[in-house]
Amino acid sequence: MKNIKPIGGVVLGALLLGLIPFVSDSEKSYLVYFLFLTFCHIVLTQGWNLVAGYTGQISLGTHAFFALGAYTTAMIWRADLFKWGDYYFDPVTMILSGLVPVAFALAIGIPLLSKLHGDYFALGTLGFGEILKVVCIKGGQFTGGPIGIMLPSSVYTTMKPHYWTALFLALLATGVVYFMTKSRVGLALVAISEDETAASSSGIHILKYKVLAFAISAFLSGMCGSLYAYYLFQVSPEGFLILRWTLYPVLMCVIGGSGTVIGPIVGSLLMTAVFTVASIYLPGIHPIFSGIIIILVMLFMPNGITRLWKKGVQGG
Amino acid sequence: MFDYLNFNLLAQLFINGILFGTMYGLAAIGLSLIFGTMRIIFLSQGAVIILMAYFCYWLFTLFKIDPYLSIPIIGLAAVVLGAGLYQGLFRRAVKMEDKNITLLIAVGLMFLLENLMAVMWTPNPRSISTGYTSSSIPVGGLAISFTRLIGFVMAMLSTAGVTIFLKRTLVGKAVRAASEDIEAARLVGISPHWVNTIAFAIGIGLCGIAGIALSTTYPFDPYFGFIFSLKAMIALALGGLGSVFGALLGGIILGTLESWSSFFISGGWADAVGYGAFLLVLLFKPEGILVRSVKKV
Repeated sequence: MKNIKPIGGVVLGALLLGLIPFVSDSEKSYLVYFLFLTFCHIVLTQGWNLVAGYTGQISLGTHAFFALGAYTTAMIWRADLFKWGDYYFDPVTMILSGLVPVAFALAIGIPLLSKLHGDYFALGTLGFGEILKVVCIKGGQFTGGPIGIMLPSSVYTTMKPHYWTALFLALLATGVVYFMTKSRVGLALVAISEDETAASSSGIHILKYKVLAFAISAFLSGMCGSLYAYYLFQVSPEGFLILRWTLYPVLMCVIGGSGTVIGPIVGSLLMTAVFTVASIYLPGIHPIFSGIIIILVMLFMPNGITRLWKKGVQGG
Repeated sequence: MFDYLNFNLLAQLFINGILFGTMYGLAAIGLSLIFGTMRIIFLSQGAVIILMAYFCYWLFTLFKIDPYLSIPIIGLAAVVLGAGLYQGLFRRAVKMEDKNITLLIAVGLMFLLENLMAVMWTPNPRSISTGYTSSSIPVGGLAISFTRLIGFVMAMLSTAGVTIFLKRTLVGKAVRAASEDIEAARLVGISPHWVNTIAFAIGIGLCGIAGIALSTTYPFDPYFGFIFSLKAMIALALGGLGSVFGALLGGIILGTLESWSSFFISGGWADAVGYGAFLLVLLFKPEGILVRSVKKV
């Protein structure tokens, strides 16, 4: 009985959100774009949350996997890989765009995670992103160089498919995190983040679980990158391989409360709103405020908003 | 195909690499001190270096103070800034178990500084041009840039200074003790906050020196700092944590590597070679290539 209520709420909430494009004009209203961006952030944030919040490994490579997904989509489309001609919102392409980052995550995750802890892992993933950036800028014909790969934007008709796909991905990401935390896998992940040695001596295969979480995170980021490529129609280093796509999820997750299912959602919604309002009313100087907000939040509520609320409930 | 190569060219590339690498080394020493005592990945190191470079630029253009005469002013300002940063931003966060927090504060600071500088000085690259900027000293057929040579000397002197400070003075010994084992250091009566403040002050002080060296040799813009931080991290990983000379040497290795690869492959790929070396070191010898055997828990 206890579990049915929240699930009902989630389904109802998702349905209501799904109806928004019918009520609000998806081409003119800012709301649809805002929610689309929020959902994208939720996907990336949940991915980061799974790795950092549950296994305690700080990854700074979200933008790398995000870009890998986008480039995979762009390259499949450009090369006409399956001879279908049209790859706009093609599920196979999108799933492949999730799987390519997974392959990379496995390739760098296994060696990095088997040897390195916390801080070094963060540097390793950051280094991976930077190498990818150089490769994309210098890739010539293959990656399109600094301009990137242009996609045929004539297929664009409406923002609606982007919105629904983003909503679906956000639900998927949240669902994955929720079910992983409720399962044996989740218990293992939390045990690893609490005390690695103790977890290892209780028979938990540490590397397996860490790599699993890292790979799932890469999959989610890659799918999101593919979706964003369908939105921008230009896959370039400047649009995808920027640190923004790593820092925003980290920020949103920590502000919302990392290691919780609801935290990334709260954080993404709040920070997307803050950034949007700031970029409208304070163009040019809004990143300064973003920096100040990051510092203030870390100084005064380092455990995130969700935990603050929980603490308040328990205390009162 | 390599018939245009001669000893002079190789030597010139090597020297340029060393001269530029010392700047990475300076940043890496600061990072090493901050990371060693507080386990903070101070990603905003590069942004602070650029801030100091702008400070030097300001002193030069507004008050006509020669960059090398501004060393005491900027050095002092940087030391005060470092102590202030620790007391204001990191004092509380350092005690926390979760290392995400200090990393994120550093990221927030980087965001703040980069954009503040972009608003104050516009994102266009700036550089300091003095009478001696383009002069060079001929040494046996090689031309050594005067400003880079001074930068190198400044780096060497400050490295030696920091080493002497850490090895000979009581405060320095306390800093080293704290970076080896903070619990044991606390047991023998070393105040962690005092040690951390010192480490931060020296680390940011070195940023001041690096900023002056940078502003006199290269054009810089507000967003250059992040790349500089990354390079300093690479230098640190190459040299191994906990050794001042290791960090400097790591920077020099990276500088040489970049100088050669940008000549033999192409300019843009030099970065990838640096990061590639970094990833390889992390994968196969995370304690640093210059460290023989280290057991880090």
